[in-house]
Amino acid sequence: MDYPLWIPGIGAGVLIGIVAIAHVLVSHFAVGGGIVMAVVETMAVKRQDQALRNLAKRTSLILILVSTVFGAISGVGIWVTIGLLHPVATSALIHSYVWGWATEWVFFILEVATALAYIATWEKVRPRTHLLLIWLYAFAAFMSLVIIQGIISFMLTPGKWLETHAFADGFFNPTYVPGLVLRTGICIFLAGAYMAFAALREQDEAARARLVRFLGAVQVVGILVAYGGYRWWEAALPESVRALFHSASPKLPALAATRHFLLWMLLVYLVFVLFALVAPKLQRWPVAAVALILAFAFFGGYERLREGARKPFIIRDYMFSNGVLVSEIATLNEEGVLSKAKWLTVGQPNDPLAKGRAVFKAECAMCHTQNGYLSIRKLVEPMDEDMLSGILATMKEEGEEYISGKYTHKGHVATENLDYPYMPPLVGTDEEVEALKAYLLSLKGTSVAEVRHGN
Amino acid sequence: MVTNLIPALDPAPIPGPVWLFHVLWVVTFLLHMLFVNVVLGGSLLATFAGSGRRGLQSFFVNANSWAISFAITFGIAPLLFVQVLYGRFFYTATILVAGSWLGMLGLLTLGYYLNYLAKFRLQKDQGPGLALPVAALCFVLISVIQVMVNLLHLQPSRWEGVWTQAAHALADPTFVPRWLHFLLASLAMAGALAAYVAVRRSRSEGQTPELADMARFGVKVALYTTVVQLVVGFWLLLALPSPVLSGFMKGGAATTLPLGLGILAGIGLLVVLAQIREPLAEATKVRRVMEFLVGAVVLMIVTRHQLREVYLAEWKPLEGAQVAPQWGVFLVFLVTFVVGVALTVYAMFKAATDKPGAGEPAA
Repeated sequence: MDYPLWIPGIGAGVLIGIVAIAHVLVSHFAVGGGIVMAVVETMAVKRQDQALRNLAKRTSLILILVSTVFGAISGVGIWVTIGLLHPVATSALIHSYVWGWATEWVFFILEVATALAYIATWEKVRPRTHLLLIWLYAFAAFMSLVIIQGIISFMLTPGKWLETHAFADGFFNPTYVPGLVLRTGICIFLAGAYMAFAALREQDEAARARLVRFLGAVQVVGILVAYGGYRWWEAALPESVRALFHSASPKLPALAATRHFLLWMLLVYLVFVLFALVAPKLQRWPVAAVALILAFAFFGGYERLREGARKPFIIRDYMFSNGVLVSEIATLNEEGVLSKAKWLTVGQPNDPLAKGRAVFKAECAMCHTQNGYLSIRKLVEPMDEDMLSGILATMKEEGEEYISGKYTHKGHVATENLDYPYMPPLVGTDEEVEALKAYLLSLKGTSVAEVRHGN
Repeated sequence: MVTNLIPALDPAPIPGPVWLFHVLWVVTFLLHMLFVNVVLGGSLLATFAGSGRRGLQSFFVNANSWAISFAITFGIAPLLFVQVLYGRFFYTATILVAGSWLGMLGLLTLGYYLNYLAKFRLQKDQGPGLALPVAALCFVLISVIQVMVNLLHLQPSRWEGVWTQAAHALADPTFVPRWLHFLLASLAMAGALAAYVAVRRSRSEGQTPELADMARFGVKVALYTTVVQLVVGFWLLLALPSPVLSGFMKGGAATTLPLGLGILAGIGLLVVLAQIREPLAEATKVRRVMEFLVGAVVLMIVTRHQLREVYLAEWKPLEGAQVAPQWGVFLVFLVTFVVGVALTVYAMFKAATDKPGAGEPAA
C-alpha cells in the first residue's frame, strides 16, 4: 500500500495467475518426474529391462529442459511478479520465512546439479552412479515441495501463527500435511500422464503395453493419493473458509462450481487411466492427451479454489488482498488510507475526483480493473448514488467485524455476519469514502460520454 | 517529501542478526556473479569469436547450458537477503521500472533456450546462426536492467522523477561507467577462462593450433578489456555523487582497503597478462591470471556492498528495525547447507569419475 502501484493492463490477478500456473505445473511435474523416473530406472537396472531404461532416457531430456530451465525461470518469475504487485505481502512472507526459503534454495542447488549431471551421464557412468543422481534429484525436488508447501498453505490457514508469530506455528499449519499429500499425488499423476507419451514411442508392442499399464498404475496411485489429500485438505479448512464454497448455500457460487468441476475432472481422468490399465494395447496418443488435459484441469481447478478461498485476504486473517492489515483498519479509518498510500497522490491534482481515484487504486485496483477483468465500471453502471452510498457504508462497517472479531479455530470472523465476505472492508476517512463515491459515479458519466464521443 | 515516499519498515522483525544477512548476502552474491560473468562474457565472446573459433564457441555454449541454470539458482539467495534488509528500497525500485523488470524474465527464457538451440546446432556441426548473438543480446539487456534497478534502489531522491518520467531511470551519471565496469569484467573473466580451459585441455589433447589460438584469443580479450577497465573504474569512482565518494573514503581502512586491494589485483592482472606471449607454454601465468581475476571480483563485490551502505546511510534504512532471530530454523538451514553442498560435491565427483571399465555395463 505504501509502494507505488503498478497494475498491468490485464489485471494483477491475471498476471499472477499466468506466471503461477505456468510455474506450479512445471514444478510439480519436476517433482513427480524425479520420483517416477527414479523408480523406473531402478526397476530397469534390477530387471535388466531395456524398455524401462529407454522410457527413463526418453523422458529425461524434457525433464531437464523443462524443470531446470523453465522451472527455475518461472520460479524467479513468481518472485518478480509478487514483488511488483504485492510488495507488502512479499515482505511479510520474507520476514517470517526467509530461512525456510534459504533452506529450499539449498535443495534447488542439489536439484539443478544432479539434473544436469543425470542427463549428461547416460552411457558414461556405472548404473549405480546414475541411480544415485536421479534419486538425489528426486529427493531434492521433493524437499523443495515439502518446504514451499509450508509457506503456500500458511497463506490460506495461518493457524496459531496469528497469535504467536512463530515460524513453526505458521509453517506446520492446519492444511500443511493434507495439502502436501494432495500435491504429492498431483506430482505423481502428472509425471505418469506425461511419461505415457514417451511410453507410446516404444517400438516393441508387448513392451509398449507393459509400459502403458505400468504408467497407468502410477497414475491411479497418484489420483487416489490426491483425492485422499484433497478430502483431508477440505476437512482441515476452518469453517469460515469452507462456507465460501462448500456449504448448503455457498457464499461464492463460482468457487463452489470450481469445486464440482475439479472433482468431476478427477473422476473422468480416473476412468481414462483405468481404460489404459485394462486395455493397454488400445492406448493411443489422443487418449493420453485427453488424460493429461484432465489431470491439468483438476490441478488448475484446485489452485483456483485454493487462491479463491483465501478471499478477501492475501494472508488469511492477517493481511487483505489490497495490502491492508487487519490490525491497521482502525488507524486508517482515523488517519485516512491516503496517509499510507502516499505514492498514489504524487503528481496528482488535489481535487476530490483525483483523491477518489487514488482511494480506488489503493483499495480496489488489486482485483478490479476499470474496464477489463472484474470491471468496476460495469459494476457501478446500474447503481444510483443512494445505492452506492449504501454499499460503501456497509463495506466500511464490515471493518468493525474484523476489528472486534476474535480468532478461533473457525477463523477470524464469522463469515455469516458479513454481506461481502469475499471483499476487504472499506477503510479510510469519511472524506475519502465520499471522494471514492464521486470517482465511481464519474465512471458512469465517462462511459456514456465515451459512447457519445465514439458515435 | 522524498523520505515520505520511502515505504514504512516492515512491522515484522528481522529473523536474524543483521550482520549475518550481510555476510550471507555477499557470499551468495559472489557465487551468483561468477556464473553471471561466465554467461554474459562467454556468450559475447562466443559471438565475437567468429566461425573460425568453433572450439571456443562450443566451449561457452556448452558451459552456459550449465552456467545459466547455476547463475539463476545462485541468484535466488541474494534476492532473498536483499529483501530481508532493504526490501522497501528494492521493491520500490523494481516497481518504478516494472515493465523492464518483468521483461527480464522473457529475456532470460529467450536467452536460455537460444543457447540450447545454438548448442544443438553446434553439435550437428552447423554454425550457431543467429541464436548465439541474440542470446548474448538478451543477457546484455538483462545486465542493463539489473544495473538500472541497482542504482535506483540506492537513490530514493530519484524515485519521484522516475515515477513521473520512466526514461529518467537511466539518467544517472554513474549508470554508464557502472554498467561498463560490469560488462568489461565479464569479458575479462570469460577471456581468462577460455585461456585457462585451453591450457588444461592441451595437457590431455596436446598443444593443437586450435587450442593455442583459443588461449591467445582469451588472453588478448582479457588484456584489452582490463586496460579499458582501469580507465572505466576511475571514471566510475569519480562519477559517484560527492557525498557518497567522501562517505566511502571516510570509512577508513574498512572501505578503502578492499577497494585498494581490488585495484592492485587489477593492476597485477594487467602485468601478468601483458607478459604472456604463448599461453599454452605459460600455464602458471594463466593460472595466476585466474587467481588475480577471482581475487579482484571478490574484493570488488565487497566494495560494491559497502558502497550500497554509504548510498543508503542518508536514509537510515534499518532505523527502528526489530531483530528477533529464528535460531532454530537458521540451524536447519545451516545443516541443510552443509549436507546439501557435501551431497552435491559427492554426486558431481561420482558423475565425473565413476566410469565403467571395459565390458562393464553403463547407465
